[in-house]
Amino acid sequence: MKRLKLNKHKTLKYTKRSILHLVLIIGGLFMILPFLWMILASFKPNIDIISVEFRLFSSNWTFDNYAKVFREMPIGRAYFNSLIIASVATFFTVLSSSAAGYMFSKLKFRGRDLLFFIVLGSIMIPPQIVVIPLFLMISKVGLVNSYPALIAPWLINAFGVFLMRQFIFGIPNSNIEAARLDGASDWRIYVRIIIPLVKPTIAVVSILTFIWTYDAFLWPLVVVSDTDMMTLPLILGRYAMTEGGVIAGASMATTSMVLVPVLIVYIFFQRFFIKGLSMTGVKG
Amino acid sequence: MGLATRGKSKVNSYILIVSLFVLAYYLIITIGPLIYNVIMSMSKTDLMSEWKFVGFKNYELNFKNEIFLKALTHNFIYILILVPVGISTSLVIAFLIYNTSGIAKKIYLFMFFAPVVTSLIAVAVIWKLLYYPNVGLFAKIIQGFFHVDSPLFLQDPKIALLCIIIMDIWKDTGLRVVVLHAGMEEIPQSIFDSARIDGASNIKTFFKIIIPSLRHQIIFLAAIYSINALRVFGQVYMMTGNPAGGPVHSTQVLVVRMYQEAFLYTKFGRGAAISMVVFAMLIGLVLIEIKSFDKSYED
Repeated sequence: MKRLKLNKHKTLKYTKRSILHLVLIIGGLFMILPFLWMILASFKPNIDIISVEFRLFSSNWTFDNYAKVFREMPIGRAYFNSLIIASVATFFTVLSSSAAGYMFSKLKFRGRDLLFFIVLGSIMIPPQIVVIPLFLMISKVGLVNSYPALIAPWLINAFGVFLMRQFIFGIPNSNIEAARLDGASDWRIYVRIIIPLVKPTIAVVSILTFIWTYDAFLWPLVVVSDTDMMTLPLILGRYAMTEGGVIAGASMATTSMVLVPVLIVYIFFQRFFIKGLSMTGVKG
Repeated sequence: MGLATRGKSKVNSYILIVSLFVLAYYLIITIGPLIYNVIMSMSKTDLMSEWKFVGFKNYELNFKNEIFLKALTHNFIYILILVPVGISTSLVIAFLIYNTSGIAKKIYLFMFFAPVVTSLIAVAVIWKLLYYPNVGLFAKIIQGFFHVDSPLFLQDPKIALLCIIIMDIWKDTGLRVVVLHAGMEEIPQSIFDSARIDGASNIKTFFKIIIPSLRHQIIFLAAIYSINALRVFGQVYMMTGNPAGGPVHSTQVLVVRMYQEAFLYTKFGRGAAISMVVFAMLIGLVLIEIKSFDKSYED
């Protein structure tokens, strides 16, 4: 009797488990299905992507979409531009936020709290708010269609400063004091002690900045008119102007070229990605 | 020397250079432009003549403009759907994932998180095709499973905005799930154990233990996503054709409107006034969030 009851309890538990996993598998597939669909569609003729009959796998595999993109869009140049902008922005953001993070957490000077308040307050003034004046300023100094203009809004990141400051708070003062007694300047302490210790935070800030700048859209849209200076999102922006089926294959080929490298990096470094982006939530 | 440290006779060059760089950067990139924006929003701006101070005229014109009012309403609708639906679905998924373990848990987190790392602009292009009327993937799924005519999605003014919001919820579900899941893992196991001894069901645990313990995370996510809903631009620009905001202004939002006024019609003053409205709403939301955050700490 007792055994029977136990079995029943077990079956119920198994059913519950199965439903749990079923829901999560369906949900998870819904998360990655659009990307699989995108990759498959990029190898199909337009007529197979937008057709009455549904086929997940096309019988007519083709590279025409990719050929068309390379023929009609400055995609190579856009890749180069996007990578340059995202890399330079990431480099400067890591440098500035770690340097400022050390200053705001371990050094005392008059006006420190006010300056930190300004940094944090800037979170409330996202680029969308000041895009018009920034554009007018940039055009007044003749920097429209230039790399400096494209990179300018991403040299410091308030969130990066905040994250670094939190992390550096945790470094024992004794390390720093010992170095100072040896006559080390703050520059030396920053390079020799702080940088090696904040490597995990550097990884997080780098990933975040790279994703954000790789995806930046409004600012490049405003400041770039020259085809040679277009970034990948701007190339995609051109598809927004054309309606529908005629560009289905080409647009999926382009989005695949934009997203597949990111997804591959994600697969290998997912731990950093998930940890990094969850810190935005937990620590913010 | 305002920046000298702790009365040392020598000026600390590290503090001097880093703080001057930070200060100069924010003056040039953020604070300066914001002041410039305020002035511009109160000026009559056209490319031919000198700017002229006109007070609140630009604001007045905006608030009398039907399209602007639609955009304002749509941003509110965006917040009111994105925030509660986004957070509650993510809470449920995070709780389900919390109940798994080992490699399965890792795979689920990996799958749900994948869209978060990708580019919003690229995702919008994909979803625009998925939403393709009659022959797109979603239309086929609806026809196949429910045997009814599928809606026209982005081409139907009644549901176009909703379609964009659904895409937006989908894209960031993983981020919210990871944040909430991390919060759940920090809840001490003893609380769950005592609940189990009391015979509490999973659903009861969810409402009585999980949600109250995660209130900081929930408030934080609500703030982040209401700010995001105010800043919406790329999604609408990419998914609603040329000009953005259609069909018949059913997806018009404030930042898109600002972009069009300033850069399509070169009415910088009108555009600047719109961005000040967005700024005011943003400050309002952040103040509400700080208030509720303080309150939740008092409990």
